Amino acid sequence: MPESVSLTIDGQEIRAPKGTMVLEAARTAGILIPHYCYHPGLPVVGSCRMCLVEIEKVPKLQPSCATPVAEGMVVRTTTPQALENRRSVLEFLLANHPLDCPVCDQAGECGLQDYYMEHGRYDARHDEDKTRRKKAVPLGPHIMLDQERCILCTRCVRFTRDITRTGELGVLSRGHRSVIDVFPGTTLDNPYSGNVADLCPVGALTDRDFRFQCRVWFLGSVPSICPGCSRGCNIEIHYNRRFDPRYHDRRVHRLKPRPNPEVNGFWICDEGRYAYRTIDAADRLKIPALRRGDGLREASWAEAIGEAAGALRGVLGGNGPGAAAVMVSPQMSNEELFLARRLFRDRLGIDRIAGRAPAAAGASGDDFLIRADKNPNTRGMDLLFPDAGDCRDLVESCAGGRIRYLHIFRHDLSRWYDPGRLAEALREVDCVVFEGSWDSPTARLADVVLPAAVYAEKEGTFVNFQGRVQRFYPAVPPPGAALTDLDILARLAAALEAGAAGSTAAGLFGEIAAHVPEFAPLTWQSLGPTGRWLANPGNDHAV
Amino acid sequence: MQGLSPSARLRIEELSARYPRKRSALIPSLQIAQEEAGYISEEIMVEIARMMELSPNEVREVVSFYSLLHQKPVGRYVIQVCTNISCQLCDAEGILRHLRRRLGIGPGETTPDMKYTLLEVECLGSCGTSPVMQINDEYHENLTPEKIDCILDGLQ
Repeated sequence: MPESVSLTIDGQEIRAPKGTMVLEAARTAGILIPHYCYHPGLPVVGSCRMCLVEIEKVPKLQPSCATPVAEGMVVRTTTPQALENRRSVLEFLLANHPLDCPVCDQAGECGLQDYYMEHGRYDARHDEDKTRRKKAVPLGPHIMLDQERCILCTRCVRFTRDITRTGELGVLSRGHRSVIDVFPGTTLDNPYSGNVADLCPVGALTDRDFRFQCRVWFLGSVPSICPGCSRGCNIEIHYNRRFDPRYHDRRVHRLKPRPNPEVNGFWICDEGRYAYRTIDAADRLKIPALRRGDGLREASWAEAIGEAAGALRGVLGGNGPGAAAVMVSPQMSNEELFLARRLFRDRLGIDRIAGRAPAAAGASGDDFLIRADKNPNTRGMDLLFPDAGDCRDLVESCAGGRIRYLHIFRHDLSRWYDPGRLAEALREVDCVVFEGSWDSPTARLADVVLPAAVYAEKEGTFVNFQGRVQRFYPAVPPPGAALTDLDILARLAAALEAGAAGSTAAGLFGEIAAHVPEFAPLTWQSLGPTGRWLANPGNDHAV
Repeated sequence: MQGLSPSARLRIEELSARYPRKRSALIPSLQIAQEEAGYISEEIMVEIARMMELSPNEVREVVSFYSLLHQKPVGRYVIQVCTNISCQLCDAEGILRHLRRRLGIGPGETTPDMKYTLLEVECLGSCGTSPVMQINDEYHENLTPEKIDCILDGLQ
């Protein structure tokens, strides 16, 4: 435990670890001191002067972002002097600000707007023309710069220097001529560049992808976990609360990082950030389908489940459980994996189960956040199906004619298996069921297609590569007739008369904790917004 | 585009070896580079950035901050006119207007014969003798249009 000191902020007694800055100590007590240049994930520069506060026995106002707490310190954040300072800082910042809020994407989540309404509210005293600068300058594939809106807080510059160490951005020239820019002939193009739009407290750096798509006050926000790799970065899903299919073509508009010091700090990668497009992609599966002759025909859930259950019952009765096989996926949640385990393995006695598949071509990681394993729950799958085989071997078994029923969760086998040979192998199987969210060559080879929800449309947990169990929440409903995998499995279990109890994610998580020792200390409630470690995470992060 | 000469590179390497961090030698290195070419091109910034273990934009920040470091070719005589408050009160505007007329160029421009470059700069730190201008490394104080004519006539 680090040594702690006690101090008073606005009359509140506060204890804070030694070395904490006054601004952070105040935040933990619910006192938000306005600031621009300070960001908890970046080095402190103390340049914006917005966070100045009064400290007893110190003659001048002090920057709370750069003043460490001290024993007996008495801080006042709202004295007339501190408030007057905020007004003055805002007046200078807005002196050359273009006030183009009506066409600015930042409007609604802008540090200038918010603080002006709280602390500014002065009448302009400037008769002079505002300075003109470059507007709408594309800095790279994802970021647009507006130099007139910039307040030179340098958060973005520090991000490229201290976090990505790519150093693309700089403050050029001096005084009122200062601007942010890249070096001539270069671009802001690194795997984490989207974060500078989140960092920017004003509308100077905006996301080219989000520009002019939706006003931020129409967005709802739900906490979630990025399913793009085994890091499991904590994110927020921002969706259009007023979505109307007549006028809008997407429900989810953007993903934002959600701070979690144990997993992703304050950041996410661009690959994960822009993967939100897959949620409302045109190739989503929305309606169940059945093979009739050479093609797939749309069907009702009753028909589709009936056909799959009938085929499976026939195989189990006629050939025995050895002729049925299941491919589970590290894209599935722990609860879905557990329900699949209970249905296929425990109730129906199927032990031909595969899970691991070769990585997609070109999948790579780095030494920061991005992992080469592009699945969110490989660790959870390994815990719930420790004996699961390799998917390639299972395809070989199909080709060898030993499998009569195959239930594929999510895998697109054509990504790592020759498509021609795959078609031949699956033709050997009497009934191939594909349960997944997107159309693929594998879905088109199936006899029964069951459209499933994606992570943004359901709740559940993933275990990241470090062993952290993290919860995600539904932001939008599944499209069309699609259902969550838990609902689909419950319907299949009911049709097979194999029992369907406990098909809520919360209930299943409780059962996982009861059956799988690594999950034993955890409860659905205890996971909280940023997750908990497994009993033996196998790293330095033990609880 | 020409890079640094071998002798300039050597001088810069010797300079940066004197400091615990190479970047400490950045400003004198830029001066060496400017001595050679008269200005500091983007190529030179990239070259010096590599030598100092900095990003090119960190070097450009310094070059763009100091009015004595140039990013474009400049004339033989660089005339920097202060237009900050003390000079302003002593008619720096008139001084600048006279120079514009006499040289036929505005601030930031260079005469076609590459003899003069005119720049408007912030305080030169000689408020007591305003208005002030600086030609290359020398100050010229208590200026009047007549005095400027006299100074320019004396330049080759």
